[in-house]
Amino acid sequence: MTLRKTLSLTALTLGLAAPALAEDLTIGLATAQTGGLAPYDQPSLAGFEMRVDEINAAGGIAGKFPIKLIAKDTRSDAAQTALVAQELVDAGVQIMITPCDADPSIAAGMITQGAGIPAFSFCATTPTLPLAVGDFMFGNYPADNVQAAMLAGHAIEAGYKTAYILTSPDSAYTLKLPQYFGQAFAAKGGTVLGEGTFAMGQQDFSAEVTKIAAMDPKPDVIMTAAYEPDFPAFVRQLRGAGVTTQVLGSDGIDSPTTFAMGDLVEGVVFSTAGFATEGSALAAFNAKYKEKTGEEPNTVYIANGYDLGTVIEVAVTKADSLDPAAIRDAIASLENVEGVTGAISYAGTMGMPLRSVSLVRIVGGNRELVTQGVPAPEEVPAP
Amino acid sequence: MTNPAPLLDVSGLTVSYGAVEAVRGIDLKVTKGEIVTLLGANGAGKSSTLNALVGLAPRRARQLSFAGEDIAHLTPELIVRRGMTLVPEGRRIFPTLTVAEHLLLGGAKHAARGPLAETQAEMLALFPILKERLHQKAGSLSGGEQQMLAVARALMSSPDLLLLDEPSLGLAPQVVDRIFALISDLRARGLTILLVEQNVALALDIADRGYVLVNGRIEIAGSARDLMASAAIRDAYLGA
Amino acid sequence: MDIFLQQLLNALSLGGTYALLALGLAVVFSIIGLINFAHGELMTAAGYVMAFALAAALPFPLAIALAVAAPVLLATAMERVAFRPVRGASGTTLLLTSFAVSAILRVLFQNFISARPVPVPMPSALSGVINLGPLHLGIIQSISIATTALMLIGLTLFLNRTVAGRAMRAASEDFAIVRLMGLRANGVVATAFAISGLLAGVAGLLWVAQRGSVDPLMGFLPVLKAFIAAIIGGLGSLTGAVAGGFLLGFIEVTLQAWLPEAWLPYRDAVAIMLVIAVLLFRPQGLLARKTVLKL
Ligand SMILES: Nc1ncnc2c1ncn2[C@@H]1O[C@H](COP(=O)(O)OP(=O)(O)OP(=O)(O)O)[C@@H](O)[C@H]1O
Ligand SMILES: [Mg+2]
Repeated sequence: MTLRKTLSLTALTLGLAAPALAEDLTIGLATAQTGGLAPYDQPSLAGFEMRVDEINAAGGIAGKFPIKLIAKDTRSDAAQTALVAQELVDAGVQIMITPCDADPSIAAGMITQGAGIPAFSFCATTPTLPLAVGDFMFGNYPADNVQAAMLAGHAIEAGYKTAYILTSPDSAYTLKLPQYFGQAFAAKGGTVLGEGTFAMGQQDFSAEVTKIAAMDPKPDVIMTAAYEPDFPAFVRQLRGAGVTTQVLGSDGIDSPTTFAMGDLVEGVVFSTAGFATEGSALAAFNAKYKEKTGEEPNTVYIANGYDLGTVIEVAVTKADSLDPAAIRDAIASLENVEGVTGAISYAGTMGMPLRSVSLVRIVGGNRELVTQGVPAPEEVPAP
Repeated sequence: MTNPAPLLDVSGLTVSYGAVEAVRGIDLKVTKGEIVTLLGANGAGKSSTLNALVGLAPRRARQLSFAGEDIAHLTPELIVRRGMTLVPEGRRIFPTLTVAEHLLLGGAKHAARGPLAETQAEMLALFPILKERLHQKAGSLSGGEQQMLAVARALMSSPDLLLLDEPSLGLAPQVVDRIFALISDLRARGLTILLVEQNVALALDIADRGYVLVNGRIEIAGSARDLMASAAIRDAYLGA
Repeated sequence: MDIFLQQLLNALSLGGTYALLALGLAVVFSIIGLINFAHGELMTAAGYVMAFALAAALPFPLAIALAVAAPVLLATAMERVAFRPVRGASGTTLLLTSFAVSAILRVLFQNFISARPVPVPMPSALSGVINLGPLHLGIIQSISIATTALMLIGLTLFLNRTVAGRAMRAASEDFAIVRLMGLRANGVVATAFAISGLLAGVAGLLWVAQRGSVDPLMGFLPVLKAFIAAIIGGLGSLTGAVAGGFLLGFIEVTLQAWLPEAWLPYRDAVAIMLVIAVLLFRPQGLLARKTVLKL
């Protein structure tokens, strides 16, 4: 299990005619190559590396700061993440990237915050993450409350009056996102009829589903942030109990498994960080990725990781320095950075990016865009 | 006097459990048709010897041959298939299996149905009590019945040499008498027997020859009659 | 009343899967004293084979046959390569070996297949509902109950009607003596592993059918549950493992169904407390049995 891979892309850049003053920007990747977070961190890393390769091929950030990556496996373990983060800080990284989950990101953030090094979580969505760590911690993905606000707006527009939310206290994401949804839904005049809970990974929803089936009146819509393996199991058992109520999900279910479920997920609407409309930047990115790797980008985490490369590029260019504190200040002031998933802003957001959320409906095993955009700040529940 | 090749021929047999040496280089011979008894105090190494012979205890030996074949490197299952088996100390029946199942497993070496059924019929004739209890779980049998079952189970493999480890242990005197009558009967049917027994008088009464094991070494060996007459044996086991 | 019956069916379905898994653990433990934590990876292997067979458009029955055969082979290979060399070693050694086998398989799945879940697109015919009056029974749930029943009946027949099965029962009581019957120890142990592989394969398919995907870590949680079930039942007792599996299923479903809303987040804690309570009254488990492990 001690699989450690140290990637160094300097070799790539050495061959190029670097300016005399060329200085490496060293980015530490304390992310999961194995374990439960690997499914999220690995595609994020693939996209990120792709962007870094492009930047280096063009002579580095602003033509003078080539990027060097040092990656160490956190094994999806929070303690290991802290350990790895410390090693990377000791190795002199100027920017840290942490896993797709709040807990290990907080563990690593405690170390980078102390060392005064800016850190990004690849795709943690907990809006309180930067608050828990400090001003050197940033997110890179639409936060839970932002996704929830978009979903609540959609639910009201679709004419749903009542909702049932299904939460799991096992993670901030599965607990808070549906609760943010409930708040936003209630604020817009909807009624939350009840809240069910489940234990993550156990995939037995029969008791919960039996309760929902026995509800009178039935809710118009069920919202959950459950993801694999829970979401597919939940929907299967829900439909298996004869309940046909509409289901709203969040970005965690944007995966091939969901789309392989056929009729069971017909009509399900979920939030995601990007939707490739024809002619969009994301569509162009997906085509480029496919050309480069020969594989369809089967998750938006790849594009999201790619955009993080752009965010760092713009921030370092703006700082015009490799000083971590200067980079941090530059990140915190970014506005409308053009990413392939849309515009990304950090100015005035307390660390979580304001960026576009797409709502997607599953129709016949395909995606259909419902709406895309950034919710109005006053509609976003406070973290 | 012609000396036929012994059925079991052992020399330099050593059994050690880690640092504990339970048997320290003993020599032992059993000739076809004999009853040989192995005597000794508690912890002398009797069970270790029998277990080692069938391959259940860790063993080393200069020579370990059965029916003229070297069995030093054979597993217990192969040794049993060659015709030597053990009725272990404490009976070791399978409590939740029925009597019939014990006989079936005991006869597992008979590939064909015919010989298996034949041997089973023979056992039930020899142990009528087992016939009555055929579908009862072995755990519910009395101690004596369990001992009978353990012997019957071993005999199901149609052995040439039967090792018996304290068959009288914990049984009432009448039951002990029946077991010993059975042993004589088995010998009469041509079975060779190596018997470990606490009841020295009974053992020497029925045996042809005997060995006395002290602390893992054979101290005395001889005919049953000589051993019976030996002052040392009398002092040690038969009381004043 | 209807809701009660419905929850009863739910418990039967969940408990059945736990029972199959616990039984797989118990079959091996009863014979060589090993708690095989790599049991979960056998489930995962079944899931992957199912995923690939369906992706290769093989007929559904063939896919199932392959998916069940794979863990049987894997289990016997595991026994041959990893566990036979340490047979008879201390419980700790055996346990650590099984942890190592489990970890190695997980890394292999991760590196050679994918860290991400691989979809297992079950035929849509399996996602229907059977309505029994007021009761709704998902087809997969019914299949789960029926398969569990079939497996338990089949295994009972095997254990009570065949020589190999009786030898396994005997071996679980006294392994050494079974060898004195001229029955090959390796054969008995290999049979035990093959059966545990079969049970894991069937349970793995039932598990995957619910979740629609397989990932490298899939087996961990169910095997933890199965371990708890086996402990409740009395480690090493086969009937105990089945009883423990069903009991755990009933406890979980009952708590989820009738625990007050505010308590639901603590469901697993309450379930574990009930298990501990059972063990306080029956420290050896429900259907304990003295384990004789002499080799
Ligand atoms: N499995 C074992 N591991 C370690 N030591 C053992 C083992 N079996 C026996 N011994 C030791 O070997 C010695 C001989 O034991 P053994 O059982 O052979 O004696 P015995 O003559 O059969 O005694 P008893 O009359 O009490 O049955 C004893 O000191 C015993 O403690
Ligand atoms: Mg003894």
